[in-house]
Amino acid sequence: MIPVPGDGWVRLSPRKLLLDPVKAIGQALVPVVVALVGVSQSDMRWWPYFLPLAILAPLALGAIPWLTTHYRLTEAQIQVRSGLLNKTTSTAPLDRVRSVDLEASLLHRVLGLQKVQVGTGVDDDRITLDALAAADAQALRTTLLRRRATQPAGDPALATHPSEPLDGLPPTPQPAPVLLARIDWSWLRFAPFSLSRLVILAGALGVFSQFADNLPIWNEETATSVWHWVNRFAVVAVVAVLSLGALVSWVVVAVGGYVVQWWNFLLVREHGSLHLTHGLFTTRSITVEEAKVRGVRLTEPALLRVVGGAELATLATGVEDGVTQVLPPCPRDVAVGVGGAVLESSGPLTFPLVEHGPRARRRAWFRQLRGALVMAVVAAVAAWWFDVSWAWVAALAVALLVVAALVGEAAYRHLGHTLTDRHLVAGSGELARVRTVLETDGIIGWVFAQSWWQRRIGLTDLVATTAAGDERVLVRDVRLDVAVALADRATPGLLTPFVEAAS
Amino acid sequence: MSDSGGTPVLRAPGHQVSPRAIPFWTVSALVGDALLVIAATLAYVLVPDAPGWVGLVVLLLGVLAVVHVLVMPRIRFRVHRWEVSDTAVHTREGWIGRQSRIAPISRVQTVDSRQGALMRLFGLASITVTTASAAGPITIDCLDAEVAREVVARLTAITAVTEGDAT
Repeated sequence: MIPVPGDGWVRLSPRKLLLDPVKAIGQALVPVVVALVGVSQSDMRWWPYFLPLAILAPLALGAIPWLTTHYRLTEAQIQVRSGLLNKTTSTAPLDRVRSVDLEASLLHRVLGLQKVQVGTGVDDDRITLDALAAADAQALRTTLLRRRATQPAGDPALATHPSEPLDGLPPTPQPAPVLLARIDWSWLRFAPFSLSRLVILAGALGVFSQFADNLPIWNEETATSVWHWVNRFAVVAVVAVLSLGALVSWVVVAVGGYVVQWWNFLLVREHGSLHLTHGLFTTRSITVEEAKVRGVRLTEPALLRVVGGAELATLATGVEDGVTQVLPPCPRDVAVGVGGAVLESSGPLTFPLVEHGPRARRRAWFRQLRGALVMAVVAAVAAWWFDVSWAWVAALAVALLVVAALVGEAAYRHLGHTLTDRHLVAGSGELARVRTVLETDGIIGWVFAQSWWQRRIGLTDLVATTAAGDERVLVRDVRLDVAVALADRATPGLLTPFVEAAS
Repeated sequence: MSDSGGTPVLRAPGHQVSPRAIPFWTVSALVGDALLVIAATLAYVLVPDAPGWVGLVVLLLGVLAVVHVLVMPRIRFRVHRWEVSDTAVHTREGWIGRQSRIAPISRVQTVDSRQGALMRLFGLASITVTTASAAGPITIDCLDAEVAREVVARLTAITAVTEGDAT
């Protein structure tokens, strides 16, 4: 049951009384055990006093939030009141509600609870209700979003619509949710090619190496004899087994992580919002108002691209960090299709990009080679210092330069821009191919930034500033006149007073 | 469309900053550079057995500092320009690199003016215009304090009548 407008204050779900103490006990477990051990060592007489305290304190502490937190809906606002000594009241105007996110940890789910977060378009300022019964949370979400979706119905221009009842009751039927994407387990084949989980594996290896130091077998003598054995018989075999082991554990971690994160993945469009749900243990349900989605970003990391995969994120204003990943690693066609549906136009993700020309290619190469040269010089100094053979330095330098040239060429190939009737498109990325699409309506300024190098060859970095996503879209190393023309066409009128035609 | 006759170029904004910006930049560069050079020299003198080439580096640093103090304010004065039209704010800045920034006034969220102690001494003030994008703030550095007040008043008046949440 959620309150209807006009009702009084309502508490959160009573099952929160179970949720918080369990959490509190979890947090207090270590200090309590330490205290108990300390007490038991000194004197057993205190046990009868101490034990009830240790159990009751978390229960009491856990009950306080439930007792002191209330919320209510009025005609115009959602209000949350909380705090025991310091009372805080958060309010959000209902017509400012931009997003309603639901989240449930494993513990929440066992208790049938969900955490509700209401975003109002101002970053970092979200109203949190932790926790409501799952059904209530859903109802609250629907209420908040539907209310916002029907806002225009109050508009006098629309009130004359024939299908609209005169007094506005009952509310107009909502269009059915449109399915944009759902999990397809054949996408699991992309999991090992997405390196975002490599960090976890590296962390696990770190823990293991800490642990391995303490293993009794690991002393110098065994190490030397093992090395001799390895050297004599089986270098190839050992390397092969180790690599195979690493590969297998990587595949297991990657696939497992993919399953846990994207279980039950579903992306639908309803009430004028994009609605995303996923998660095996912790379920997330994220809602972004479509009017606030200013663009999308299609990313094809190098490895994923080899197998034809891609990732998609939306760029929105008024969401916590602006960039929301809305698809797991999936086939490129799916990402392009969903991106096209979100943008309501498939062109921006499929049109070829305008290349930036030979001077931009030179810059892209130069940028990478400069890094390689610095590293080569550092290596040379180190070699001189440690008296290492120069052949190694030469080999390293050649390898660095080849890699740099390859990366530079890739970076140039990914570079580009185009302008469709409603979207600015920028291609970027070095190893990954990234295509950023931004609604031209979402552009709130331009920056033409030229370094000294760029000025010499007439190139510029063009930055479209925006409130969405990372708050900037960069078109790198584009010719200055092309940049000016591009900016002028993307935001008609804005540059007009400052642009003149050079003969 | 402005790209009908020849290649379009961005013209320079209409106004220069206050001429008193040159002494202001000179003094602030002098203070910073002098500290750096003195610290480097002291370190060179006090550390025993420093090799000779370190002395050369310190000398080079000193020469660069002198060039910086003498040249930077003049180049910067030539480059820095600003203009506030009825629809947009346009600035150009930099001395090695160059940055032009344009923001529509309809998307401006805040207009701040700032005057440090040293700036007050020279009768200067800076204006910062922010939009809803973290990448978008536009600073007009070192305006005549009187001009700055007028510009702020004008910008505030224009932004007050614009509607919407400027995102």
